Amino acid sequence: MSVDSAYAELAAERGLEQLPGFDTGQLTPLLVEAKGAGLRPALRGALGEGVSGVVGELAYTRNRTFRFQVALTEVPAATAFAPRVFCIRRGRSTRDDEFYGFEARHSKLWTESAALNERFEVSTSPFQDPNWLRQLFSPSLVDWLGTEPPADFSFELAYGALLGSIESDDPGAGGLAALCEATAHVATRIRRECEE
Amino acid sequence: MQLNKVGIGLIAFFGLAGAAFAIVPILAGVPGEVALILASVGVIWVLVAAGLLWYARRQKRKAAHQDWIVRQGLRGTATVLYADSHAEVNEMPLMSLRLDLDLPGQGTREVKRREIMPVFAASRMQPGLVLPVYVNPGDADDFVLVW
Repeated sequence: MSVDSAYAELAAERGLEQLPGFDTGQLTPLLVEAKGAGLRPALRGALGEGVSGVVGELAYTRNRTFRFQVALTEVPAATAFAPRVFCIRRGRSTRDDEFYGFEARHSKLWTESAALNERFEVSTSPFQDPNWLRQLFSPSLVDWLGTEPPADFSFELAYGALLGSIESDDPGAGGLAALCEATAHVATRIRRECEE
Repeated sequence: MQLNKVGIGLIAFFGLAGAAFAIVPILAGVPGEVALILASVGVIWVLVAAGLLWYARRQKRKAAHQDWIVRQGLRGTATVLYADSHAEVNEMPLMSLRLDLDLPGQGTREVKRREIMPVFAASRMQPGLVLPVYVNPGDADDFVLVW
């Protein structure tokens, strides 16, 4: 099954609107890497219960071609608590655009979960409220991240934009649905933590 | 917070390689003019390492001070009033921000801040964006913007 037909099947299953393409803007580090490549194909609608957004393929070339399936949604309230939270699968291959020099650009987040630490590298911008972050990464979310989402799932939260992504070139409609559900789950968890 | 490996690696490279350039040719009996050129390069590299070390120590002190403000300071919010960039450092915009600083019990006041930010962060610095901020309890102009 091609990526196009997987997206068409997902659109039919979930009643999503098919878009000719979607310009994401440079909202997260992965989207900056793509330098405005946009999503093609792209679908808009409900990613999960109470969470709407866009799901699509992000492809860009930096020496070689990288392909990600991504789901983008918004959690604007998160900015006041944690402007940046990145939970990236260990070993993921992208090019890091950030210049580090002698300044700390990220703080690695400490968690007690060995399973989470083995699977993900969690980082935030420096000086974010550690208590809020520990509440966000509650045992239930940590357990869920370690067991439930697709194996190649990562997410980036930057200034209210939440981007869930998987690295599979052709995950099929089922894989895309799992991406949507995982991103919606993370969005709901962040939103609830903001409300508390 | 700590110095990262890139910084330590740069200091080690320029320091050790510079010292080697300066000393080894002399010990190895390399002819005078060549030894002088290599020694000059070595001295310059050692000076670069010393400069980087000074800068790293300054940044470490700054980071320790910022950590103290975050632990002991007053927590408030900073609302972006104005954001612009006219320069880049290593493909990252140098942002000039005008902020409305709001501290509980102290009201609001306008402050300015310049930050080098990655592109995705710079693109979100729009008027109305609210960011967390920590302020030195003894000096209201001394604050850490969490972005």
